[in-house]
Amino acid sequence: MQGLPAIQDIVNLAAKIITSRTFLEIVVFPGFLNVFVGAALLTWLERKVIARVQLRIGPLYAGMWGILQPIADGIKLLFKEMIFPELADAKLLMVCALGLMMIAAAPVVAIPFGDGLVIANMDVGLIYVFAAISLFPTLILLIGWGSNSKYSFIGGLRSLFQQVAYEIPMWLSVLGIVMLTGTLNLTDIVRAQEKLWFVVPQILGFVVFFAAVLAELERIPFDLPEAESELVMGWMTELTGAAFMVGFLAMYTKLYVMSALITALFLGGWSGPSILPQPVWFLLKTFLVATVIVIIRGAFPRVRVDILLRTGWTRLLILAFANVFVTAMLIWLGFGWFWRV
Amino acid sequence: MALDSWSLVAIFEIVVVITTFPLLVFGWVMSAKGRNPIRDAPFESGQTRLGEARLRYMMQYYPYLIMFVALDVVAMFLFTWGLVFASLPVAQDYLFLVFLIVLVVPLGYALYLSGRRESW
Repeated sequence: MQGLPAIQDIVNLAAKIITSRTFLEIVVFPGFLNVFVGAALLTWLERKVIARVQLRIGPLYAGMWGILQPIADGIKLLFKEMIFPELADAKLLMVCALGLMMIAAAPVVAIPFGDGLVIANMDVGLIYVFAAISLFPTLILLIGWGSNSKYSFIGGLRSLFQQVAYEIPMWLSVLGIVMLTGTLNLTDIVRAQEKLWFVVPQILGFVVFFAAVLAELERIPFDLPEAESELVMGWMTELTGAAFMVGFLAMYTKLYVMSALITALFLGGWSGPSILPQPVWFLLKTFLVATVIVIIRGAFPRVRVDILLRTGWTRLLILAFANVFVTAMLIWLGFGWFWRV
Repeated sequence: MALDSWSLVAIFEIVVVITTFPLLVFGWVMSAKGRNPIRDAPFESGQTRLGEARLRYMMQYYPYLIMFVALDVVAMFLFTWGLVFASLPVAQDYLFLVFLIVLVVPLGYALYLSGRRESW
């Protein structure tokens, strides 16, 4: 009889933790389940939208409009044999796939999905998000090297160059927003857009940021690291079964998180008429941005590697610097107070 | 109980690991383990594999990577400048814009050099 109250205490404590706001935020809404389900839905959305672009029908039989197709794919991949080539480091590949998932989901900690609906309200949110994103090339190069396959290694090298080249324009395009608002906190940046979204005064920055995001996501027109007609599947060629599932889901998680970042930085975040709740507005805008990115995949050809690098280092960089000067002029002319927090 | 931002990040990452890692372990346990020299060969579009995969590739476009090392630091410092831009006196804004222009000139020269094939 002595032990029972202790068990009762433990149960109470567990119930208190599970029903606490922080735990629910981490596990359910702005946190893990949101990202996981969002990424799974994006794989379905991509197949459906690409099918419509190409006058096909796309997934149809699993659930209504084939919406349960991601679950069927997941179960299929989970039971497939994991084949790793000879001399490939199987453990390294699996750990790197797990690491990709961790890094892809990490920025969501700082992104606000509603007023106050954010896991950690960081003062350095923007820097944290960019720091997390810039860890990707390392892991991708490790996967390419560890696969012991030429396609994987070339894909990893190309991915490194591309992501490194487009990081600088991506950072500089956001500098205008930091100058206007005077903060790095993403919640404050969204609050500053209640009068006018940043896509209007920062249109140059938006264009540069969008192009850089396409390159960071390795999507058409910048999908050189996994160019299907040259490199089979790029650095993912030798990932099989469950490891491929986790790596593939990580790339769609990244797409989801970057769409959310574009929404928060340029499209006003949760702001919208109050007929719908704030998170619904945020998710609507996020899926709209993701749909545009998917349609771009259906509509454009792939660029050449030297064009990609020269465009990133000359035109996008010049446009990003021009954006900084335009923003400086805007503040000198006295329009800065409009977006101050 | 208030947690600071970084412990929240750590908890979030732990949640990601304990939900994703079992998938990998499950796939590893369930998958067949037979070994076969043909199946174990790296994929090369059905052709016989020639030589090693971990070759020394020609690192084309190498100058771009060197430019990244310099500009990365500059971009990071620009953020601290952008944070206080509106509250600085205008004279110091001019100084920083002059710094930016001075930065653009060597950048243009580096771009000119990196476009030439002999420096790859």
